[in-house]
Amino acid sequence: MGAFLAQLPSRQFLRALLLSGMALLGSISAGQNATQLDGTAFNPLSGTSGKVVVLVFLRTDCPVSNRYAPTLQRISAEFQQQAQFYLVFPNKSESAQTIKNYVHSFSYKLAALRDAEHSLVKQAHAQITPEAAVFDKQGKLAYHGRIDNLYEDFTRARTAPTTHELEDAIQAVLKDKPFAPAETTAVGCYISDIE
Amino acid sequence: MTRRQGRRVVLALAVVAAGAVGHFAARALAASAQPGGGSATVTFNRDIAPIVYRYCSRCHRPVEAGPFPLLTYSDVKSHARQITVITRKKIMPPWLPEPQEWAFADELRLSDSEIALFQKWVNQGATEGQPSDLPPAPRFVEGWQLGRPDLVLTAEKPYILPASGTDMYWNFIFRLPIAETKWAKAVEIRPGDKRYVHHANVLIDRAHSSRRREAVPGAGFAGMEIRMESEFFEPDSHFLFWKPGTASTWEPEGMALRLDRGTDLILNTHLQPSGKPETIQPSLGIYFADKPATLHPMLLQIENDARLDIPPGEENFLVTDEFTLPIDVSLLGMYPHTHYLGKDVLALAKLPDGTTKTLIHIPHWDVNWQAVYRYGQPVPLPKGTVISMHYTYDNSDKNLANPNHPPKRVLGGNRSSDEMAHLWLQVLPSANSGTEDPRMVLQEALARHNVDKNPGDFEAHYNLAAMLEARGRVEEAIPQYELALRLRPEDPVANNAMGEALHATGRADEAVQFFQRALKARPEYFDAHYNLGIVLAQKEDFADAAEQLRAAVDLNPQDANAHANLGGALAELGQKAEARAQFERALQIDPQHALARENLELLLRSGMERQ
Repeated sequence: MGAFLAQLPSRQFLRALLLSGMALLGSISAGQNATQLDGTAFNPLSGTSGKVVVLVFLRTDCPVSNRYAPTLQRISAEFQQQAQFYLVFPNKSESAQTIKNYVHSFSYKLAALRDAEHSLVKQAHAQITPEAAVFDKQGKLAYHGRIDNLYEDFTRARTAPTTHELEDAIQAVLKDKPFAPAETTAVGCYISDIE
Repeated sequence: MTRRQGRRVVLALAVVAAGAVGHFAARALAASAQPGGGSATVTFNRDIAPIVYRYCSRCHRPVEAGPFPLLTYSDVKSHARQITVITRKKIMPPWLPEPQEWAFADELRLSDSEIALFQKWVNQGATEGQPSDLPPAPRFVEGWQLGRPDLVLTAEKPYILPASGTDMYWNFIFRLPIAETKWAKAVEIRPGDKRYVHHANVLIDRAHSSRRREAVPGAGFAGMEIRMESEFFEPDSHFLFWKPGTASTWEPEGMALRLDRGTDLILNTHLQPSGKPETIQPSLGIYFADKPATLHPMLLQIENDARLDIPPGEENFLVTDEFTLPIDVSLLGMYPHTHYLGKDVLALAKLPDGTTKTLIHIPHWDVNWQAVYRYGQPVPLPKGTVISMHYTYDNSDKNLANPNHPPKRVLGGNRSSDEMAHLWLQVLPSANSGTEDPRMVLQEALARHNVDKNPGDFEAHYNLAAMLEARGRVEEAIPQYELALRLRPEDPVANNAMGEALHATGRADEAVQFFQRALKARPEYFDAHYNLGIVLAQKEDFADAAEQLRAAVDLNPQDANAHANLGGALAELGQKAEARAQFERALQIDPQHALARENLELLLRSGMERQ
């Protein structure tokens, strides 16, 4: 039947996809990539979701990270349809169980990843926890830096932020517009301290 | 039968009360490092650990305020770069005052060479070094720092701090379960989860003036500042203050704190949201002294809230006040206080010999790190010393802590969005030759200073009047009460006090009107019902007197005087059975109550005669 023949190209496409998947698995086995909390490798930047991707780098013992929990939940809920959020924990000494407990205690409803080898840290050019990175639908880094300007320095917080870089960057990327500044300095704990 | 002393109410805005910036085990470990000394590599074990143990570990350890531990090489390495930045900026360790001649106890200030050593260590690779170089780890006492308290009070209901939002100021009321007066040589504050409590202080509420603010008894109430009423001359005497890293200490020898039956302790806490809801349930540990205090320090408040009217955008708004000491004192400690707009906090002492000394200088005020500062040695300040405060405020957008964007006009007041200009000093009056309490001399001088400063201020006149009355100068007090009432004609406390002063000078008819006015403003006012009942009884209007005293008894069923006097009025009315019940109730509350005993005996005798 004609219909049967018409399916052939798509079958080839399927095989190609499978192959690239195997290639990905190959790199995971080298232990370089981020993992889900059950230990399976996961690349949030594989470009398959068709959504804007937001990575938020956190550290469980960083009080600045912690204070952002309600803000991050509000922003991720606001962009639920258009953006995929991941909490990324780059500290090698934080176990999957520690992260699980943390995510639960702050009532996060977002996927959490361990990035012990800093593969995502490098792709996002992240330096601080908490720091956000916004990738467009093509997987290109559009913004990284502070979530907003609540903190001016360690222990020096405003009563409320007056700029909202993460939200504004997501809005811009959704409209296919560049966001400036593409890079800001976040306040918090240094990721380089845990390398 | 009216043997009761009048109740005087001194209004005072009490912000802090004792605490303890104390000695510290790790303090003995002097930093051994020689920064820049030769080419030797800086190591954690030899150079960094002694500094960390001395300045950081007290808070950065489990259960304490620091968000992560700093006890081991891996703890410190894991925050190494952060430590170099935060110490270079002098954000940590948190210590706001500049160095000064009259040094504070337990100064938590890194030297420039210690700061440089952190930089050098990180630049050289943050190595661990030889195990033999590592000094012994600091030892910390777990649980109650001063040992097992004689009395532990835990907040009846916890406060649930919301996950987000601005800072919260929550007050817990602890009802003291003691049957008689006791003396405390220490009050240890366990503020709840220390990671979220920025500071806490205990206030003594001898008149239950805070209970009215609880929506549900035991639940506590919100508010940055607390207004206290006190029934008699009882100036605040001790700072009872907790901040992260504070070690509890004993009050100095002879300076125990008096606690009476029925006293409430109010714990005022400053809380910061963490990102998730937190349960805060503080406790207090009280350690009793075996004898009463022999030395009586006093908290002097120098302030100028009335001058606080800060225009929006103003970056340097100056407020000053100065007070001349009427007697010799020793200055023990101090507590400067502003809210979020405070910028530069300076206090000076100009001595009679003309020299000027710095009492404190905080060039970058931060409300989050406000603290009680105790001097390493008591500072002698002779009579005639002029103590001055010079505070500047920044109400512009440049001030990060400014709660208003865009900035708004800000006035003095109790809310955290208002401002304050306070300097509290703990002084010990020098032993004087006379019999009078030297604290009264200080308090009267301060009250006169406040009246001169703010002639339109109700509280200034009221407090001066109450002070004069406390010193037995009722005739001088009456015109000050009049000035206070001209400013607030309806004020129940001032009307009641005026009634008492008039009564004390034999003007009972006039007194009645003031008690009635007090009751019009506050119908459930025990003191005014009681006082009116007494005056009416003296005028032999026993029916009305009994009515007032019954209202008093209903409001405070534990007051033996009210029962005894009600019994007296009822006896005069011939209601003997009821009178007897009231006398017996008074004796049940206070078996030593002489009036109740005498009147009961009289009643029983007269009853027998008639039978």
